[in-house]
Amino acid sequence: MATAVKKLDLEVGELVEVGGRRYEVVPSREGGVTLEPPITPVSELYAERGWKPASEEDFERLTADDLPPDGEG
Amino acid sequence: MSQSGEKKLPPASVEFGSREWVEEVERFEPSAVARTRAESARRAIEAGGHKLRWQRCDPESDSGAHLPGCRKLYLPLDAEGASAAPHGFVFQLVKTSDNTLIWNFVAFGERHPDNPNTRTVYERAHKRLHGHYP
Repeated sequence: MATAVKKLDLEVGELVEVGGRRYEVVPSREGGVTLEPPITPVSELYAERGWKPASEEDFERLTADDLPPDGEG
Repeated sequence: MSQSGEKKLPPASVEFGSREWVEEVERFEPSAVARTRAESARRAIEAGGHKLRWQRCDPESDSGAHLPGCRKLYLPLDAEGASAAPHGFVFQLVKTSDNTLIWNFVAFGERHPDNPNTRTVYERAHKRLHGHYP
């Protein structure tokens, strides 16, 4: 007996819940879309907490002794 | 005083937010190497006394990740050289509501995943900062 396929018309950025777990529709590397566990953006997290990204000046002063960037990310 | 004459700021503490931790680390099974490695590193960071090899993230990188205001640690923390450290943490410097500077944990993952469909830790950090993948 053939299994019925449930087709979903989804767009990037939408959230779906499968088996009690949430997934976000994101672009795949092949140019289509795929489902991944969501990553809550800092804009949402920081708004809830009353935080904001620090200034570039503060960053420069706090990382003066860090190793330099290595080009990978 | 730094070479530029500006006064250095006192070190900022590291914060592991619960939502970030669940999304980044607890997506792995409890016994997964990646998860136990992240948990071990977090314990060491929070306990203090461990010499941490902080490294600035590239503001722009070949991968397209744009991570301003971020620094990283390679895991395991005691790995001898970057090639022995397959995972990474990324943190962003933030100012809290009481004007305290902290390093907020934003991403954990593989630096160079074998599976081409796996997002790198830098891609995950970019997604968390900008709301989309690079």
